[in-house]
Amino acid sequence: MTFTDWAILALRVLVPVLAVLSFVPLITWVERRGAGFIQDRPGPNRVGPFGLIQPVADGLKLFFKEDVIVHDADRFLYILAPGIALFTAMVTFAVIPYGPELTVAGRSIRLVGADVSIGVLYVFAITSLSVYGIVLAGWASNNKFSLMGGIRSSAQIISYELAMTTAAAGVLLATGSFQLTDVVAMQHGTWLGFLPKWNAISQFLGFVIFFTATFAETNRTPFDLAEAEAELVAGYHTEYSSMKFAMFYMAEYANIIVSSALTTTLYLGGWSLPGFTPRGLVGVLFSIAVFLAKTMALVWVFVWVRWTVPRFRFDQLLRLGWKIALPAALVNLLWAALLARWKVV
Amino acid sequence: MIGGVPLFDVLMVSAALFLAGLSGALLRRTAIAIFLAVEVMMNAANLALIGYGAALGTYEGQVLVFFVIAIAAAEAAVGLAVFVSLFRHTETIDVNKINLLKW
Amino acid sequence: MERLTFDLAGALAVLFAFVMVAQKHPVKSVLSLVVSFFGLAVCYVMLSAPFIAVIQVIVYAGAILVLFLFVLMLLNVPQETREKDPRPIQRWLGSTAIIVFAVVFVGVLARSGADIPPHAPFDRTAAADIPALARRFFSDYLFAFEAVSVLLLAAVVGAFLLAQKEKKP
Repeated sequence: MTFTDWAILALRVLVPVLAVLSFVPLITWVERRGAGFIQDRPGPNRVGPFGLIQPVADGLKLFFKEDVIVHDADRFLYILAPGIALFTAMVTFAVIPYGPELTVAGRSIRLVGADVSIGVLYVFAITSLSVYGIVLAGWASNNKFSLMGGIRSSAQIISYELAMTTAAAGVLLATGSFQLTDVVAMQHGTWLGFLPKWNAISQFLGFVIFFTATFAETNRTPFDLAEAEAELVAGYHTEYSSMKFAMFYMAEYANIIVSSALTTTLYLGGWSLPGFTPRGLVGVLFSIAVFLAKTMALVWVFVWVRWTVPRFRFDQLLRLGWKIALPAALVNLLWAALLARWKVV
Repeated sequence: MIGGVPLFDVLMVSAALFLAGLSGALLRRTAIAIFLAVEVMMNAANLALIGYGAALGTYEGQVLVFFVIAIAAAEAAVGLAVFVSLFRHTETIDVNKINLLKW
Repeated sequence: MERLTFDLAGALAVLFAFVMVAQKHPVKSVLSLVVSFFGLAVCYVMLSAPFIAVIQVIVYAGAILVLFLFVLMLLNVPQETREKDPRPIQRWLGSTAIIVFAVVFVGVLARSGADIPPHAPFDRTAAADIPALARRFFSDYLFAFEAVSVLLLAAVVGAFLLAQKEKKP
C-alpha cells in the first residue's frame, strides 16, 4: 500500500472520530445558550463572544476537580465504564456517510468511515454494547441509587432499542440493503417535482418513532429519569467526578450528535439535497454542509424538547416503549411493506 | 481455505473453546457459571458450523448458526427464569446443595 | 493477514473463555464472556459471515449477557466460596474426563476437513451478499424461521411465568 493509501485510510478513520469529539463542545454551548433562549435569559455570555469559550472553561473546571474513587468500588470496572460509554458513542459514527464520493489523487473515496455491508446493524450492535457502560457504572459504584439508576437506564435503552430497530426495519425494507450509502442514494430526487424523496415523508410514523426512540436511547428528556437531579440523586453517574464524569457528559452529547446524524441518514436523506447533484470539490463540501445543517437541526430539536417537555415517570416510560412504540413500529413496518409491494417507493 | 483462513485453525479454536466450556461445566459449582459454560460450548459449535459452511461454499452454515443463536436466546431466558425461581427458594447457588430430589 | 486476524481473535476468545471459568465472581465471568464473544464475532467476519457476526454481538453479547447481568445484579448473587466439606473426587473425575475428551476430540478434529473437495473459496465480498442469505431464510428454511418465532414467544411467556413471585396464600 502506498503512502497515499495509508493517508486516505488514516483520514477515513480519524475524520469520524475527531468530528464527533470536536462537535461535543459546540453542542454543549448550543444546549446552554438554547436553554437560556427558551427560558428568556441570556445563557453564558461572559466567557468569550456569545459565551463560545464556555465549553473550554467547563472542560478545565472538570479537569481540575478532585478525582475520587469510591472506597468499595470495583476499581477496574469503575474506571472502565465511562470509557465504554464514550467509546461506543464515538464508534457509531463510523458507518454514517457524510458526503458523496470524493475524487482525490485519481482515487474515488466514499466519505464514510467504513462502508460495510451490514451498515445499520453495526449501529444497533454498538448500541447494544453501550448498555454495558451504564450497567457497569451503576454496579461498580457500590451505591444503591447508582445501581437502581443504572438498571433503570439500561432497561429503558433495551426497551426502546426494539422500537428503534423495528422502525429502521421499515427504512431497510424500502431500501433493500443494510448499507447506509444505499439508504442515502435511495433518497435522491423528488416526487411530483417538489417533495424530496425522504423516508421521513413516506414513512412518517416510522420517523416519529425512531426519533423518539433515540431520545430514550440517549437518556434525554423526557426520558431522563435515570439521571434527573431530583430523582435517584444522579443515577448511574452519581459517584463519578472530574474526568470520568466529563467522559459520561461527553458521551451523552456524542450520542446526541450520532443519533441525529443517524436519523438524518435514514430519514432525511443524509447529505443529499433534492435537485442538486454534487460536482467536484465544491459539490462535496456543499453536501457535507447540507448534512451538517440537517444534523444540527435535529440536535436543536433535542435541546428544544429538553427544556420544554416534562419528564416521564419510569413506568410511563416503559409503557410507552412496549405498548405504544413497538406496536406502532410494527404498523409502520406493514405500511412500508405495502409501499414496497405497490412499488410506490 | 476460506479466504485465507485454513479450516484447521477454525477447528482448533472451536475445540479449545469447547474444552473451556466443558471444563467450566464440570468444575464450577455455581449454577450461573455452569450455564455460562454451556453457552460457550454452543458458541464453539457455532464457530465450527460457520467454518464448515464457508469451506463448503454454502450459506447453510450461517443459516443454522442463526437458528442456534435464536434458540440459545430462548434457552437463556427460560434458564435464567428457572435460576431466579430456584435462588428465591433455596437461597443458595451451590449446585451440590440443591439435592432435594436425591434418594 | 486474514489468518493472523482470525488466529488473534480466536486466541482472545479462548483466553477469555478460560478466564470466565477461572473467575470466582459471577459478574466478572459474564464480562469476560462479553470480550470472548466479541472476539468470536471478529472470527466470524474473517470467515465471510458478517451478518452472523453482527447478530452474535447484538443477540449474544448485547442481549443474552445483559440479561445475565441483570439477574446477577438484582439478585445480588454472591461469589463462589470455598466449600466447607470439599469432595475432591468431583474435581479429579471432572479433570480426567476433560483430559481424555480433549485428547480424543483434538485428535479427531486435526484430521477433519481434509476430504472436503476444493471449492471456490468463499470470497468475502460475495459472502457479504446478505440478500442471498435472506433469500435462503424465506424459501428453503421458511418453516423453521416461523417456528423459531413461535418458540421465542413460548420462551418469553414461560420465563415470565417461572420468574413470578409465589402468591402468599
